[in-house]
Amino acid sequence: MNSSQQTQRQESDRQADKKWYSPIFSRPEIGPLGVMLILFAMLGYFSIPEGEFSLNPFSGEGFNALGIRNNFRVIAQLGIVALAAGMLIIAGEFDLSVGSMIGFAGGCMAMILKWGFAIVIPYISFKGGFHFEGLKILEITNVSPLTAILITLCFTLAFGWFQGFLIVKSGIASFIVTLGGLFFLRGVTEVSYRAFNRAPDQTAGSTTVTDLPDIKNIINVPGHGEMERDAAKALPNDQLLEILSTVPAHTIAKITENLTYVNEKVAANKTILAAKKMIGTLEKSLEGAKKSGNESMVEILTKKIEAGVDVPAVAAKAVTDLDIAKAYIDTIITARPVANFFGGDIMEPVFSWLYYTADWNVNLYGNQFAKGMYSCLMIWFLIALACYFILSRTQAGNWIYSTGGNLSAAQANGVPTNKVKISLFMFTAFCATMFAACQVFEVNTADTAKGNLKELEAIAAAVIGGVVLTGGFGTIGGIILGTIIFGIAKEAFFYIPGIDGSFYRVFLGAVLVTAALTNENIRKRIMGSV
Amino acid sequence: MNKKIPLIEIKNLVKRFGNFTALNGVSLDVYPGEVHALLGDNGAGKSTLIKVLAGVHPATSGSIIIDGKEGKFSTPRQATDAGIGTVYQDLALNALTSVTRNFFLGREIKKGPGAFGIMQMKEMDNITIEEMAKIGINISDPTQAVGTMSGGQRQTLAIARAIYFGAKILILDEPTSALGQKQQMEVLKTIKRVQKLGHIAIILITHNEIHARLIADRYTFLSLGEVIGKGLAEELGGDDIKKLMAGGTEIGDLRDELGA
Ligand SMILES: Nc1ncnc2c1ncn2[C@@H]1O[C@H](COP(=O)(O)OP(=O)(O)OP(=O)(O)O)[C@@H](O)[C@H]1O
Ligand SMILES: [Mg+2]
Repeated sequence: MNSSQQTQRQESDRQADKKWYSPIFSRPEIGPLGVMLILFAMLGYFSIPEGEFSLNPFSGEGFNALGIRNNFRVIAQLGIVALAAGMLIIAGEFDLSVGSMIGFAGGCMAMILKWGFAIVIPYISFKGGFHFEGLKILEITNVSPLTAILITLCFTLAFGWFQGFLIVKSGIASFIVTLGGLFFLRGVTEVSYRAFNRAPDQTAGSTTVTDLPDIKNIINVPGHGEMERDAAKALPNDQLLEILSTVPAHTIAKITENLTYVNEKVAANKTILAAKKMIGTLEKSLEGAKKSGNESMVEILTKKIEAGVDVPAVAAKAVTDLDIAKAYIDTIITARPVANFFGGDIMEPVFSWLYYTADWNVNLYGNQFAKGMYSCLMIWFLIALACYFILSRTQAGNWIYSTGGNLSAAQANGVPTNKVKISLFMFTAFCATMFAACQVFEVNTADTAKGNLKELEAIAAAVIGGVVLTGGFGTIGGIILGTIIFGIAKEAFFYIPGIDGSFYRVFLGAVLVTAALTNENIRKRIMGSV
Repeated sequence: MNKKIPLIEIKNLVKRFGNFTALNGVSLDVYPGEVHALLGDNGAGKSTLIKVLAGVHPATSGSIIIDGKEGKFSTPRQATDAGIGTVYQDLALNALTSVTRNFFLGREIKKGPGAFGIMQMKEMDNITIEEMAKIGINISDPTQAVGTMSGGQRQTLAIARAIYFGAKILILDEPTSALGQKQQMEVLKTIKRVQKLGHIAIILITHNEIHARLIADRYTFLSLGEVIGKGLAEELGGDDIKKLMAGGTEIGDLRDELGA
């Protein structure tokens, strides 16, 4: 018998030896990471124009400066709500009202910015017949961006609290309660637009607010006070020159240097474009000659094309004082930092460096391509950082995981699970409001349809990123990867030659289900039931 | 035998659910350093008794005296603070997170404001390893998910946790059910080690007579909400135990019935 040998075996002997790479491959984020890299490669290479072979994925439309700016805007906006949806799912609940909440918050903010805010108590009056009167107990007009956001937050957080409270106290599935929220909030938004957003001669109001000022670009112009940047640049010439006279000499020197660089760049690109155009004409004639069988003509044209064309170099435009004045106005920092924080641009110095020094952020005509990244990217980053910290490092994080992982165990150990859930419903409302603030201050418009379907996209992004729908399992890193996959898929498929753009939905559907299966498998393995 | 003072005295405890009397005047003394086996048929009221002790259900009447002080618990928190540590059948563990995160669940060591305080993971890991080792399980990796632990290890985790957080009275509800033979022995060894610590009173609920005989110092038999027998381990014979566990009917009768 070899029983003595058997008793010396330990539980730990049953664990296969770990290879150096096993910690990497056992992480749940590895799948989404792979999919993301594939999509990035697809977008990079397929977006390079036909015939222009390049191994550099940054040379196509997908990842040139403007492509990066636009793609990451889509991703970041979805990311803000996906983080909230993911955290809530980890705690074992759903919120389907996120999309409607975005529409509601955007409308609320835009209307407050446009008409101000008042608290009115309605009452019935019989003076001169039965009718309703309103008693204004508070009215503020000319609301600042910060105040508008804070007032909106009062509404959205209260609604988030209410939904959470209803769910934990009644035990009704969050699916139903927040589905109610989805209809309710969208309805309230539409009704409010039609009621408030109405000119005196209209019977029903418009469902969009379009004529908000470009708040983030309100600047303090020397000698003129606050005005919009574009209005400042359109001032009469003499006033522009007056403004310029207040600018210190070294600033003028710097601006002049930059403008000279831009003008030279533009001139150089114009020269290249002209040459390309001439070659294009020659190639067309060559084709015609080939068709008609004109051998000698073909020979001449081929030689000409091979030799290259010599176009006269376009002269660079001179930098005028008016140009400098306008460029200076562009550099004046905003007088509305809050609006700029949500709707402005970030990383402008980096993008300037990429243009002036790295010579990359250049469009076809030689101008700077992208000014910077959209601010929502920063907001996404900040919220993600906070979420990561809370979920993985703090007591609250442990409570969130246990609330979703095993509710009764969490309760038996004294975790205030109801508070955890209600707080996360409020956090979801907060994120929806941040999303709305980014949109409103960026485009200066709002309409009732904003945020449509975002609740489902957010849940999909979280699931693709490894969050398990039954709760208790998922990471912030995964949610971020899932968001990038969801945000980039449309673009990546758009550029594949000869394929219908809508295939990205087919792809996302398959990825979603695959991810859900994989997540469930990982969860079961950890639960010990496989 | 030297006279000991009971750590917890339960006197005439009555618990009614509406018209249904689940416990009808149960009295029970548990001494430090002793394993007190609470035995009885299904529905006898064992789980109800420990739920009253753990503050899940309020008692209808009767008293619970801990260390000479009258205890009245309306929440599990109050019972825990009074030194009652309950290890439920489902163990109250979150299988998806780590050993350490479970050990300190709801009582995390943290620095900083409120729930947003930063967990002191290193310190918590060390305490977890140490406390688990005290009652006999060496875990190498405190970041291991609880779901990947064996049943016996999970039981140990739950017991170690209860003791670390100040349980003077440890209540174990069928800790060996749903475990394999080897795991069962492991859990019994763990209970034995807790018993040897000397200052903890253990209430053990089990349907397994052999397990009870292996480690119990004292027995109380419940049937239909009432105590139908009690005694020290050395006073009771095997047949008495079998009979009382079945609520007073002879196993012999059963043998006849099955034979017929
Ligand atoms: N919340 C409740 N409401 C009404 N009756 C209850 C409740 N909890 C328990 N009971 C009843 O009290 C009686 C005792 O139940 P209890 O769970 O204490 O039995 P037990 O001795 O633990 O049985 P088992 O060995 O099967 O675990 C049972 O008849 C049960 O139906
Ligand atoms: Mg029971």
